Amino acid sequence: MSTEARAFAGVLFALTISFASAVSAGTLDTVRQRGTLACGVNQGLFGFAERNDKGVWSGFDVDFCRAVAAASLGDPDKVSFVPLSAAERFDALREGKIDLLSRNSTWTLEREADLSVLFAGITYHDGQSFMVMRKPDVTSALELDGSKVCVQTGTTSQANLADFFRANSMKYEERPFPTPADALKGLADGQCDVLTADQSALYAMRLELKKPSEAVILPDVISKEPLGPVTRADDPAWFNVVKWVNFALVNAEEVGVTSQNATEASGSTKPDVRRLVGVEGGLGKKLGLDDAWALRAVKSVGNYAEVYERNVGTKSRLGIPRGLNQLWSMGGILYAPPLR
Amino acid sequence: MFSGRNLSFCAIGAAVLTSVFLAGVFVARPAIAQPMPIGGMGSVLDIGDEPGRISTEETVISDGPFARQMVFFRTTEAPGTVIIHTSERFLYIVQPKNRALRYGIGVGRDGFQWSGLVRISRKAEWPDWTPPAEMIQRQPYLPRFMAGGPGNPMGARALYLGETVYRIHGTNQPETIGSAVSSGCFRLANGDVIDLYARIPLGTKVVVRHGASI
Repeated sequence: MSTEARAFAGVLFALTISFASAVSAGTLDTVRQRGTLACGVNQGLFGFAERNDKGVWSGFDVDFCRAVAAASLGDPDKVSFVPLSAAERFDALREGKIDLLSRNSTWTLEREADLSVLFAGITYHDGQSFMVMRKPDVTSALELDGSKVCVQTGTTSQANLADFFRANSMKYEERPFPTPADALKGLADGQCDVLTADQSALYAMRLELKKPSEAVILPDVISKEPLGPVTRADDPAWFNVVKWVNFALVNAEEVGVTSQNATEASGSTKPDVRRLVGVEGGLGKKLGLDDAWALRAVKSVGNYAEVYERNVGTKSRLGIPRGLNQLWSMGGILYAPPLR
Repeated sequence: MFSGRNLSFCAIGAAVLTSVFLAGVFVARPAIAQPMPIGGMGSVLDIGDEPGRISTEETVISDGPFARQMVFFRTTEAPGTVIIHTSERFLYIVQPKNRALRYGIGVGRDGFQWSGLVRISRKAEWPDWTPPAEMIQRQPYLPRFMAGGPGNPMGARALYLGETVYRIHGTNQPETIGSAVSSGCFRLANGDVIDLYARIPLGTKVVVRHGASI
């Protein structure tokens, strides 16, 4: 057989195995046999999932896929990214086209109850917010009484907007637009004083203004949009792997383990650090992995802070403040259960 | 107990250096010399001080993540408290209702040497600068004394932290905001430190926090 033919036969073999094992074996075994993690991501969302002209993916959600691949397969590059629309994402997961969905998806009761999927935690606390032009120097959403508000029609943002103003006894005039781009243009043209959408979206939209520094995104968040990775509901072992990779990245930040110092962390005397990097505790084996699982994840993509700052924070053009997504001990609400 | 080398970079004058030995009630953790937390420092922007380079009162960080802005910030500290997160390169003034006014800062070598709780003990406009001997050894071109002004590396304002040698100050190198730098403590662009100075009275509580070290 030629190399190509052998490779082709190998692929066929792997496909057969994976097809068979999708039913019988667990996702972790399937992923191992296939040698790659099939990870569902957004087709293109600034800071969260982007593909460059060489076909290389990057972003906050993309890095989570890589972290899971590093933990489960030993290699952050063994990921096949599957770009998915919002409509097809949960079907793709249920039908086994992907092993993991890491695509800015909001955790809600209905999704878990109706779709046979489980959210493995929260990687990003998003929520609806407001953007104003700097001129009036508004610093709080409670100062928006009587303003004209641009909003995309047919979104939950429109309903949240009404609820927020009613709850705070404030009046507003709605300026509805069919697309986010139109709504942004409405703000830029002065048809409204305020634009409302999810906070992460507002930061991306702000970059499209002629002078981004003239617009201010208010710190108030008026709705809950907890985004997180999703697995099938019938595989608790794989669900646990995904869940604890997320917790490991958050705990790594909390104990000070970074992609830069991960190797020397093995020599630390601190029990929290030693358990995280796997020189103590034997925790990886309990997840069906080896004990260096979390160490590899952190080495590959960095701890939570590194992933955040690189993709959406101070080292990215978005520059989104950590806000809710800061550690519980540092001003936010990120809290991961202990690795022990 | 105190290593002069580690403590002296952000000292403005020798008088302040001696007062460190009086470090007392407000210092939760004494400013002992300890290994540099590598994770906290990240890559250090190793540029020398540039006495004489002019930076005016109008210089603020107006764009990007290190621009002054109101952010969500959950804390049990009272409004008005200043919180410095060295690993993030941010200084926060706590506001009511889970928010804070956030400033981008540059953190000098000495800023990483210490964390704790102090109060603002003194405020000065356009402070003079007396580089300590160790600093002159490293950068022999530095003057022995420099009067306060737009070309002074200490910048437009200084807020002194308790009885320690640490301080929040301006800079004539605004491009270093957001970085770990080789000298100084906690630096802000001159326009931003002036804004901060006007909001922070004497006696304000200041909490300095590092990221954890392994």
